[in-house]
Amino acid sequence: MVSTARLSTFGKLLACSLLLAAACAPSESAYGFPPQASSAEELLTLPGEIGKQGGRLVVALRAEPKTLNPLTAADAPSREVILGAMQADLVHINRATQLTEPALAKSWKVSPDGLQYTLKLRKGLRFSDGQPFEADDILFTIRACLDEKTNATQRDQLIVGGKPISVRKVDAETVVFQLAKPYGAGERLFDGLAILPRHLLEKTYVERKLAQAWTLATAANQWAGLGPFRLKEYVAGQKLVLERNPYYWKKDAKGNRLPYLDELVFLFVPNADAQVLRFQSGETQLISRLSAENFSALSRQQGGYSMSDAGPGLEYNFLFFNLSEPGEKTSPDLARKMKWFRDVKFRQAISAAIDRDAIVRLVYQGRGAALWGPVTPGNLRWGDSAIPHTARSLEKARALLKEAGYTVAAGANGEPALVDSGQKPVEFSILVSSTNADRTKMATLIQDDLKQLGIRAQIVPMEFRSLLDRVTQTRQYEACVLGLVSFDADPTAEMNVWLSSGGTHLWNPSQAHPATIWETEIDKLMEQQLGAANYQQRKKAFDHVQEILSDNQPMIFLASPNILVGAKNSVGNFHPAVLEPYVLWNVEQLYFKDSPGNARQ
Amino acid sequence: MRYFLRRLTQAAFLLVGVSILTFLFSTLAPGNYFDEMRLNPQISPETAAALRAQYQLDRPLQVRYARWVNSLAHGELGFSFANNSPVAPLLWVRARNTLLLTLTATLISWALALTLGIWSAATLGRLPDRALSWATAALLVIPDLVLALGLLILAVRSGWFPAGGMSSVGIESFSPVQKFRDVAWHMALPVSALVLSAFPILVRHVRGAVAEVLEAPFLRAAASYGIRRRTLLYKYALRAAANPLISLFGFSVGALLSGSLLVEAVMSWPGLGPLLLEAILARDLYVVIGGVLCSTVFLVAGNFLADTLMYWADPRIRTGAPAK
Amino acid sequence: MIQRRRWVRWLLVLAVLHGIVACAGFFAPYDPAEQDRERPYAPPMRIHWIDTKGNFNFRPFSYEQQLRAGSFDQFEERTDQIIPMIFMPEGARYHLFGLLPSHTHFFGGKTSRIYLLGSDAYGRDQLSRILYGGQISILAGLLGAGLTLAIGMLIGATAGYYGGWRDGLLMRVAELFVALPWLYLLFALRAFLPLSVSPLQAFFLIIVVIGAVGWARPARLVRGVVLSAKERDYVRAARGFGAADGYLLRRHILPETANVILTQAAILVPQFVLAEMTLSFLGLGVPEPVPSWGSLLASLQQYSVLVSYWWMYLPALAVVPFFLGYLGLASALQDNVGTGKIERTTSEGRW
Repeated sequence: MVSTARLSTFGKLLACSLLLAAACAPSESAYGFPPQASSAEELLTLPGEIGKQGGRLVVALRAEPKTLNPLTAADAPSREVILGAMQADLVHINRATQLTEPALAKSWKVSPDGLQYTLKLRKGLRFSDGQPFEADDILFTIRACLDEKTNATQRDQLIVGGKPISVRKVDAETVVFQLAKPYGAGERLFDGLAILPRHLLEKTYVERKLAQAWTLATAANQWAGLGPFRLKEYVAGQKLVLERNPYYWKKDAKGNRLPYLDELVFLFVPNADAQVLRFQSGETQLISRLSAENFSALSRQQGGYSMSDAGPGLEYNFLFFNLSEPGEKTSPDLARKMKWFRDVKFRQAISAAIDRDAIVRLVYQGRGAALWGPVTPGNLRWGDSAIPHTARSLEKARALLKEAGYTVAAGANGEPALVDSGQKPVEFSILVSSTNADRTKMATLIQDDLKQLGIRAQIVPMEFRSLLDRVTQTRQYEACVLGLVSFDADPTAEMNVWLSSGGTHLWNPSQAHPATIWETEIDKLMEQQLGAANYQQRKKAFDHVQEILSDNQPMIFLASPNILVGAKNSVGNFHPAVLEPYVLWNVEQLYFKDSPGNARQ
Repeated sequence: MRYFLRRLTQAAFLLVGVSILTFLFSTLAPGNYFDEMRLNPQISPETAAALRAQYQLDRPLQVRYARWVNSLAHGELGFSFANNSPVAPLLWVRARNTLLLTLTATLISWALALTLGIWSAATLGRLPDRALSWATAALLVIPDLVLALGLLILAVRSGWFPAGGMSSVGIESFSPVQKFRDVAWHMALPVSALVLSAFPILVRHVRGAVAEVLEAPFLRAAASYGIRRRTLLYKYALRAAANPLISLFGFSVGALLSGSLLVEAVMSWPGLGPLLLEAILARDLYVVIGGVLCSTVFLVAGNFLADTLMYWADPRIRTGAPAK
Repeated sequence: MIQRRRWVRWLLVLAVLHGIVACAGFFAPYDPAEQDRERPYAPPMRIHWIDTKGNFNFRPFSYEQQLRAGSFDQFEERTDQIIPMIFMPEGARYHLFGLLPSHTHFFGGKTSRIYLLGSDAYGRDQLSRILYGGQISILAGLLGAGLTLAIGMLIGATAGYYGGWRDGLLMRVAELFVALPWLYLLFALRAFLPLSVSPLQAFFLIIVVIGAVGWARPARLVRGVVLSAKERDYVRAARGFGAADGYLLRRHILPETANVILTQAAILVPQFVLAEMTLSFLGLGVPEPVPSWGSLLASLQQYSVLVSYWWMYLPALAVVPFFLGYLGLASALQDNVGTGKIERTTSEGRW
C-alpha cells in the first residue's frame, strides 16, 4: 500500500528545488515576513477582503482540549482547536455555503460507477515544519486511521458499505480512493480528515503508540500540520498558544500568504459567564455560542464590540419516549407506561399540546426557531417544506387522546387527571441532564403544558453520563429531553440516528431488526440516500424520511437555538457561520483593523 | 517516637481506606467517561466499547485497583482519560496553583484574625469589640458563592481587577518583576474572597480564647508588675490561649487543598478545585482518586502538625497531665 | 438572668420567621408553580396610593406591566390599567400545614396578578416562591442537622465514654468520613433510585445522606465533653457507689453535652441550608416545579441575570434573617457558659 520507495525523477527535481528555495529564502522570525511563495507551490487563492498582517487573537474555550491528535480527538474543544486551526483536509466543506470546495486536493473526479475518487493534490506544499507534503502522507493517514489497534474515532467515517475505503497512489500528485459502494454524500467524506505528517509519526505508528502521540504536552518541534497555525506553547490549565504557520498553502487575492494573524491563543474559561466577563474586559476578542440572555446583556452595553445573530444553527432539541421492547428487568409499572408511549396517537397528542413558541420565547428569548422536524432552518439544502408546522392546539390534543381511549377523571387533589382505559392516571417522568439549563427549562414548560391535559409529568434531573447509560444501555427510563447537533448539514452524518440499528437511534437504539413498519421504511430510505447518485434523488429520499418522522413522532421536535456570537470591532473579516467552528472557520482570513503587529489586550 | 509511628500507621490506613472507598463509590453510579461518545452519531458503539476495553474500564474492580496501586508505586497516579495524560503531572501543577492561593489567604487570615481578635478581646464589650462582632456576623451570614460572585462583579464593573485566571495572556514576555506583579494582581480577588470567608470564624475563636485567658489571675498579677500591655497581650496571653487556636491552625492547614474549590471555580483560577469538579462530572476516575488522596494527605498532615505543635507548646501535654 | 432573656428573644424571632414560612400557603398570593408566559423576568411592581390624577386611594394598587413592543425582556408600566390590591381573597388552593385545605390568601390583585417581588424565567411569582421555598430549605436544614446531631451524639458519647479501642476506631472512621468525596455518592444515589420515587422524596433522601455523613464534627465535640465530664469528681463518686453505665450517661454526662448540642444545632441548621443551596448549584437539588431557596439562587450564576434582573437576588436576603436568628441564638447560648469554652466547642472552621 504505502510505497516508501523511489521518488520519480520529477519528485527528485522538485525536492531539490524546494531545498534550494528554502536555503535561499530569508530566515523568518515568527512575527516577521513570511517566506515568499515560490513558484513551485500551488497555493489556493481565497476571495474576500484583503487584510493586514499581524496581531494576536485570543479566544476562550469551554474546556481544555483533551489531545492534539486528530485520530483520537472526540470532544468538542479538541475538534475546534485541531480542525479549526491546526490541521487541513483534502476537501473542505465551506461553513458558510455548506458546499464542498477544494482544499489540499485542487480537483477531483468521480468515476461513473461512483466507486473511485481521483484526487489531484496541490504541488509543492509543505508542513508547518518545512517538510514537504506528499501523497505518501495521505496513505499513511488512511492506514493509521483504519488500523483497528489505533481505535481512531474517525475510523467509522471511513467505512462505506461495510468495508473500509482504500487508497493508492498513482503518482506524486494523484491519489485514488476506492469505495465498496457508491457514497451519496460524495467528497464530503474527506472533510475533517486531517492529513498527518508521515515523517514525524510513522515511527510512533510502527511502535503502536500512535494513539498516545501528540498530547497537549507535545514539544513544538515534534508536531507538524497543514493548518493555518502551528503549535507554540501549552500552559496547563490556562491556555494554548498557536503561532502562524509560515508555510500555509492559502493566499489572498493580492497574493499575500495567509493567515494574517501572528498568534492565536485559546484561553480555557470553563464558565460561560466568565467568558462573557473576559470578553467585556477585552481579554478575548471573539465570543462564540452565547446564551440568549448573555447576548442581550452584552448587546445592551457599549464596549467597542458588535454582536451578531447568525440565525438558527443545526442543533435540534426533542422530547422522546422509551419505545424499546420491555425486557425481563422492566418493572410492570414501566411496561404499562411503555404501552402508552407506543401508541402513535398518544405521541401526536403530546406534540400538539406543546407550546413551541413559548419555548423559543422563554428559553431562547426569541432567538431560535420552533421545530417540527430534525432539519433546522439553518440547513440550507435539506429542509422539507412539506412538513406541516401545526400550531399548538389543546383541543386537538384532547381529541386525539379521546380517540386513543384516554378519559379525564377527577384526580387526587381535585384537579382533572387523564386516565387510560384501565383507569390508571397518566403520569411519567422526564429525564434531563442536570447541567443543561436550557433543556431543563424546556422540560418545565412541557410539564406545565401537559398539566393542561391532566397529565402529571415529573422532571428528573440526572447527571449526564448516568442519563445516557439509562437511555442507551439499561433502557430504564420513561421520557427524556435531549438535543443533537451534527458538524455537517448532510443527513449522512446522522445515519446512526435514523437507522434502527444505529447506536444513536435514541428511542430504541441498536435494534437487531426494525421494530416497526415505519422504521423499516426509514432504514430503506436512509440506505437509498446513502448510495444515491445525485442530490435530487437523495433529497427525495430524505424528505420522505422527514415526513415519516412527522407522522409517527418518535421524537417530538421542540426548538433550535440561533448561533449568537460577538467580536470586537477591530476584528476584520468576521463572518460567523452556523456550522462548527462558528467563528473560527475562516480564521486564516481574520485580521486586526488597527495597526498591524499590535496584540489588543 | 512510638506515638509518631502510631500516628503514621493510622494515617497510612486512612489513605488506603479513602482510596478503596472512592473506587467503590465511583462504580456505584452507572456510566463512565466514554459514555459521552454514545451521543455522537459519528462514532459507533463498537469503537466506544473498544476504547473502554483499551483503558480497562470493563475489568472488575479488584483488577483495576491493583493496577492503580501498581502505577502509584511507579510515581504515576493512574491515567486521566479526559486529559490523555498520567494523573500525577496534572495534579502537581494544579496543586501548586491552589497552594499559592490558599497559603497566601491562610497567612493573611491568621494575621488579621490574631491582631483583630486580640484587640477585640482586650476591649471586650466596648465599641471596637462590638463593631467587630457585627462585621463578622454579617460576613458569616453571606454564603461563599454570593461573596465570590459579588467580588467578581466588582472586578468587572470597576475594571480594577482582572475577571479571572491566573496571569495575563502575554506573560511570557514579561520581566520577572512584572510577572510577579501580574500574578499578584490576578490573585487579589480570589485571596480576598477566601480571607473574607475564613477570618470571621477565626476572629471569633481568637477573641473567645484570649478573652477567657485575660480573666486569669496570673495575667492580672503580671499587669500589676507593670509589664507593658502589648507584651502582656502578645507574649503571655496569646501563648496561654494557644491550645484551641493550634488545633484550629491544624484544620487550616488541613484545608489548604480542599477549601478553595468554590472560589476557584467562580474565579476561573486554574487550581485543583476546578480540575476535580470537571473530573467528577466527566467520570475521570483516576484524577478524582488522585485529587482526593492529595487532599487527604494534607488533612492528615494538618492534624499531625497540630498535634505536634500542641505537644511542643503546651507543657501540660508533655508532662502527661490531663489536657483540657 | 439577662442571659436567659437574650436567647429567649432570639428563639422568639426564629419562631416568628418559621411561622411565616410554615404558613407559606396563606402569605403567598399565588401558587408557586403557576406560570405566566407573557411575563418572564418581570420586575417588581410598585405599590401606589396616589394615582396619576393626584387622588389618594385608601386601597393600594399597582399598574399593569407588559413587554415593550419588539422586546423580549423590557417591561413598561401601563398607567391606564390599574390593579387594586385586595386582602383575604380567594385564590389558588393550598394545604395549610399539609393538612387543612384552604383558599384564602393574605393579599392578591383584583383584576390581574401583582408581582410584589417580580417574576422568574417562567413568569412565576417570586414572593410566593420565596415563601414556599423556605419550607423546603428550612425543612432540609432541620432534618439534616437533626440527623447529624443524633448520630454524632451517639458516636461521640460511645467514643468518649468507653474510650480505648472503640474510641480510636470511631475517631479514625470519623476522619475517613471527613475526607471522602461525597459528590460521587450523591450522583450515584440519584442515578440509582428507581424513577418511581418522586423527585421530592429523592431530594429528602439526599439530605438524609448528607446528614448521615456530617456527623464527624459533632461527634468529636461530644466526645471531648464526655471525656472531661467522665473525669468529674461527682461522676467518679457515683461510679464508686456502683452506678451503672447507662445511669451515669443518662443522668450526669449527657446533660453536660446539652449546651454543645444546642450550640451545634444552631450552627448546623444554617450550614445544612447552605448545603441544600450547593446541591442546587450542582443541579442535584429539588427539581421543578418545587421551589427552594437554592434553586431560586441558582439562576444568579448566570451573568445576564446578575446584571439585568436585580430582584433575583432577593432570595439571598430571605436567608439572612434566618441565619442571623440562628447565629444570635448560638452566641446567646454560648455566652451562657462562658466565652472561652464556647469558641472551642463550636465548629472548627467553615465548610
